[in-house]
Amino acid sequence: MVYNEESNDYSIQTIDLTKRFTKKKHRGIFGFLRKSRKKEKPKSKNSDIVVALDHVNVKVRPGELFGLLGPNGAGKTTLVKCLSTILIPDKGTAVVNGFDIRKQTSMVRASLGMVIGGERTLYWKLTARDNLMYFASLYKMPRKQTKRRIEELLEIMQLSDRADERLEDYSTGMRQKIAIVRALLHDPPVLLLDEPTLGLDPTFSRQIRNQIKELAEKQGKTVLLTTHYMEEADQLCDRIAVINNGKVIAVDTSDNLKALVKETELVEIACYNPPSDIRAHIKLHCPDVEIIELIHGNEAKGTPSRIKLIGGKAEEHIGTVMDMLRKKNVRICSLNIGMPTLEDVFIKLTGARLTESGRGGS
Amino acid sequence: MEVSTSQQSPLRSNYFIVWSEIVKNLKFLLAYPVVFIFWAVFPVFWFIPFILQGEAFVGGLQSQSFADISGTPDFIPFVVLGALLNSYVLTSLYGMGESIRREAYRGTLDYILSAPCNKAFILIGKALSESISSTIFAFTQLAICILFFGIELTLGIIIPVIFIVILLILGLYGMALILAALSLRYKQAHDLAHTMEYVFSVFSPVRYPLASLPLWAQILGKALPLTYALIAVRSIMLLNQSLMALHLEVLLLLVIDAVAIFLGFYLFNWMEERTKKSGTISHF
Repeated sequence: MVYNEESNDYSIQTIDLTKRFTKKKHRGIFGFLRKSRKKEKPKSKNSDIVVALDHVNVKVRPGELFGLLGPNGAGKTTLVKCLSTILIPDKGTAVVNGFDIRKQTSMVRASLGMVIGGERTLYWKLTARDNLMYFASLYKMPRKQTKRRIEELLEIMQLSDRADERLEDYSTGMRQKIAIVRALLHDPPVLLLDEPTLGLDPTFSRQIRNQIKELAEKQGKTVLLTTHYMEEADQLCDRIAVINNGKVIAVDTSDNLKALVKETELVEIACYNPPSDIRAHIKLHCPDVEIIELIHGNEAKGTPSRIKLIGGKAEEHIGTVMDMLRKKNVRICSLNIGMPTLEDVFIKLTGARLTESGRGGS
Repeated sequence: MEVSTSQQSPLRSNYFIVWSEIVKNLKFLLAYPVVFIFWAVFPVFWFIPFILQGEAFVGGLQSQSFADISGTPDFIPFVVLGALLNSYVLTSLYGMGESIRREAYRGTLDYILSAPCNKAFILIGKALSESISSTIFAFTQLAICILFFGIELTLGIIIPVIFIVILLILGLYGMALILAALSLRYKQAHDLAHTMEYVFSVFSPVRYPLASLPLWAQILGKALPLTYALIAVRSIMLLNQSLMALHLEVLLLLVIDAVAIFLGFYLFNWMEERTKKSGTISHF
């Protein structure tokens, strides 16, 4: 798609979006009494504040499938909640489908379909059809049109024959499909999908990914997809924003992001039983390597551990590291040079692994 | 890109919001078969403590000393009508106050509050669905009154009574909205609902005339819509007074309704804004 970067015609545009939360240590009556008894000195204000979004500036083009990739607690859900008007930002604003999230909330809400919070956001005691009829009424959809639309979408999701069963009898994947149908009921131009494949088995994940891809490619929907699955972002998204600690640290296509890690900068050695102090040893002998990662495998099940050298002249140190491993009787399985994944990009950009749990709760 | 907007009139679409909310809540209610046992037993059992208490204290169905302070010697119909209107208090306060918390617990509150509709209609739907079950109870109780306690019902009585009950329910909705607003912020609304229910049953003339209360308690009681509703309904049903003669009670009920509903909506919007800032809207 040829797109003029100077244009203001974005489907989603955040402008210095900032959101801070205050940590509450003392909850409930016992917390209050403990606080009173200890007579704690008030700490500095900043120590009790979590910056969930830190001056986030993101531009998503119409019809684009845009990924937001980051670990748990990075700020992905906070961003989605701000865009959907569930959360009011402290500073900055965002424009969704041309409407300001602070000033034109009703129009923003009408422009959006969202899947957030997983399968528990539906009424399990009601049937799929009852759920969808109810939520359609909140979007002021005419009854006849709603019925037609529900049939059409359930057909696409291959759930027509189970439309009149209660959701408590559905599987997790089927409920997630109903959540997606709900987001599409009023045919919104913009979709916010927050971890839509979380907790799903590979079959349902694949089906839902295919549906998401079709929504953007065939129906021209703008999709903001948050995920911490790098394969999902890699496979689906036109562009990806990498977010960590509330900051967007890079935005580009998957290929361009991977190009941030040069071929000579990435070495991956798969091996069994590496000693726990191997990172320190490598660091000592290869001081110019920026990041040394030891990712433990499940060796009992035949999955080797991986040692990653990223940055500097990693390639030049292969011999040194191999000698070191041999001396420590480590069995080496394979050696890969210069095939970065999005995870490597994330490590390079943040110094942390994508799959590590962050601060908890985004 | 254009947003698809409703092709139906605002009145019609808002009506469907209210209707869908009622249908949803009734389907939830009927999803649990045990509720029928409660529905069958509750209206009958509700009377028994009041009747036995009355018989024990008054020693019969009538008392002159009771007539001196209440205007009617018939203790049982007096208390039965009190119990009947009081049943609306619990269902309105608990039902509507807790409904928001239930949505948060189910995980659906985010979706409801992020829909592009006026939340007032969702809340009206919630309130009306609570009133439907109360009205079923009330009719059952009224049937018991007619069969066993000699209360006579004519069209001339039933229409003004329904009018007063509607005024009572509106005031209770306002107070329930205040509870719903507090449940957005403080989550545990049913404790507050129970506290308010006790305030109603103590300071309103449910089981005894208002004159039985000390003066300060009478003043407090006069701020509650149930007080005026009870005075009016008893005057119509037991003392054969006309609605015109009760214009002061009606006026005060209207004032309380207006204040409670205004305060309820104001507080709900304010608390919604606050919780959207603090990020605690879906906490429970």
